[in-house]
Amino acid sequence: MSQIVDPTVVPLRDPTVLDRVSGASRSLGRFLRTKPLGGSGLILVVVFILVAVLASVIERHDPDQIFETPNPDYKANPSTLELARNPDIGSPVLVSQFEEPGGGHWFGTDKFGRDIWSQVIHGSRLSLIVGLGASVIAVVGGLIIGMISAYYAGIVDLLIQRIVDMLQAIPFLVLVLVFTQITERSVLNVVLWLGVAGLAITTRLIRSAVLQVRESEFVLAARVVGASDLRIMIRHVLPNCVAVLIIAFSIGIGAYILAEASISFLGAGPQGIPSWGQMVQAGRGSLDLHPWQTVFAGGAIMMIVLGFNLLGDALRDVLDPRLRGA
Amino acid sequence: MQAYIIRRILGAVFVVFLVGTFSFFAIRVLPGNFATASLGLDAGSASADTIAQREADLGLDKPIGEQYATWLWDTVRLDLGDSFLTQNTVWYEIGRSLPYSIELGVLIMIVGFTVAIPVGLISAIFQDKALDYSLRGLAILALAAPVFWTAAIASLVVLQWDLFLIDVIGQPHLWEDPGKAITWYLIPMFAGGFAGTATTMRLLRSQMLEVLRQDYVRTARAKGLRESVVITRHALRNALLPVLTVMGVTIATIIGSQVILENMFNIPGIGNKVLTALFARDNPVFQSVVLIIAVFTVLTNLVVDILYGVIDPRIRLS
Repeated sequence: MSQIVDPTVVPLRDPTVLDRVSGASRSLGRFLRTKPLGGSGLILVVVFILVAVLASVIERHDPDQIFETPNPDYKANPSTLELARNPDIGSPVLVSQFEEPGGGHWFGTDKFGRDIWSQVIHGSRLSLIVGLGASVIAVVGGLIIGMISAYYAGIVDLLIQRIVDMLQAIPFLVLVLVFTQITERSVLNVVLWLGVAGLAITTRLIRSAVLQVRESEFVLAARVVGASDLRIMIRHVLPNCVAVLIIAFSIGIGAYILAEASISFLGAGPQGIPSWGQMVQAGRGSLDLHPWQTVFAGGAIMMIVLGFNLLGDALRDVLDPRLRGA
Repeated sequence: MQAYIIRRILGAVFVVFLVGTFSFFAIRVLPGNFATASLGLDAGSASADTIAQREADLGLDKPIGEQYATWLWDTVRLDLGDSFLTQNTVWYEIGRSLPYSIELGVLIMIVGFTVAIPVGLISAIFQDKALDYSLRGLAILALAAPVFWTAAIASLVVLQWDLFLIDVIGQPHLWEDPGKAITWYLIPMFAGGFAGTATTMRLLRSQMLEVLRQDYVRTARAKGLRESVVITRHALRNALLPVLTVMGVTIATIIGSQVILENMFNIPGIGNKVLTALFARDNPVFQSVVLIIAVFTVLTNLVVDILYGVIDPRIRLS
């Protein structure tokens, strides 16, 4: 028997992976159209992520390579008088320090003759790791503490709230400086401590969101049916706080990047990795004559923070219009 | 109302106590202490006896519980002890540095608010016009630029075009030599103010948009009041309240940027003090300066909350 196919009936089919991808790209397209600022933020963030991932491809030079040029005045075994006139005369090569930006070195070279472009490129890695990592820690920690605080209410809540108050009464930078000095200043430790310092803000945000959801009728309904507290928290409260979690995550990133840049600028940042904050500081020694290192490194900080802030603002507007401008 | 105020004051005192306890233990948890820091961190250069002697002189060898009890009792009696580093009393150190910080902080706030309020207002009035977009764009940039970078670029501009001479010698106060003092406050105050402007401006703008949609604004317009009166008398007044509420946060942010700015421009304020004390492990100065900063922010929050409770009775109930 042959099957009769009615051409007017559109077959029901499972949404395939392809559909989901096109669905996602359609909503991405809508996001870019309706939120031009958020869209440009997204583009900035994607560019920086690409730069960080492909740093060794687009670096052009090794960031630690010291560039040298032959010394035109070189003279073997100079006399003391000649050395006094020209201290460099005895060395066959000169470090090409403080070169202006140009074809050879797009952003010029620093005091030690290293290529600034390559350093800026590699600096993006630290900023991204710090921003994303610290924000994940702050949100996950804030979720646990915020839920405990909202759930137990009473004395536990009061105590947690006062500790949050305490952390917020100390300038964020001082808090971060103290925390990061407790342990070895490796990248991982700095990320961890930045996240811990950010706990106060995320805890407060998430606690108020949980409190709000807890009062809603569907939670009451679940309680009436006899759901356990844990089940209510995980199945009913948590999914309704996802918007706040995403917002808390995305608006924190810029702040952590700035905090890392600040402690690096003060010479107390993570060690053994190129950092933009530290580059801004290094360039300040010769700012009046050779500003390029400071200008480009600081510009990079501003652009990456700008990208994350724009994206975070747009996400907040989309996910929770009530929080607009908060 | 009285019960509310008492409850808030007790809460504030408790928070200050927590901050003090935190800073007391924080500076002691850090590796090294003043004895090792001042004798060179590589303890190999100083004999163990010398370090132990120095620790005993400073009272750092006592059990931590005893040190804490002593600190608590002394602090309650407002005796902050002597600086390890300079041997002066901590009160003397604070008395010398606090005026600089207050000066700079007030200047930053003046710059911040004189920019933020009109800009936020204009941005809200011309909502979604080109002017609104460019002002908001500028605010977003200000929020993203690190304060030390803005300050560095500003000094670069001043140096490049020889705008004025930054005279850092003598470090006069504004009331002693205003002309000279202003030259070295000028860059930090604008860099700090620029950074502080953005949040206030954005908050004011969104509040204005909210308020302008309210019924009483429509009523005011329907009465035939001039638009300028509607905006300044009816809208702005109400929109400014939330800006006031976040004053504590604003001040904490400004103090945070002051730590960096005072360090950059050699201003001997408390922001600079907290850094030197932290790195030198000068326990008494560090604890006291952090405590004073906390008293400042907590007090601001307290005053704002109580004022708010007076103005808006709904707050008291929540």
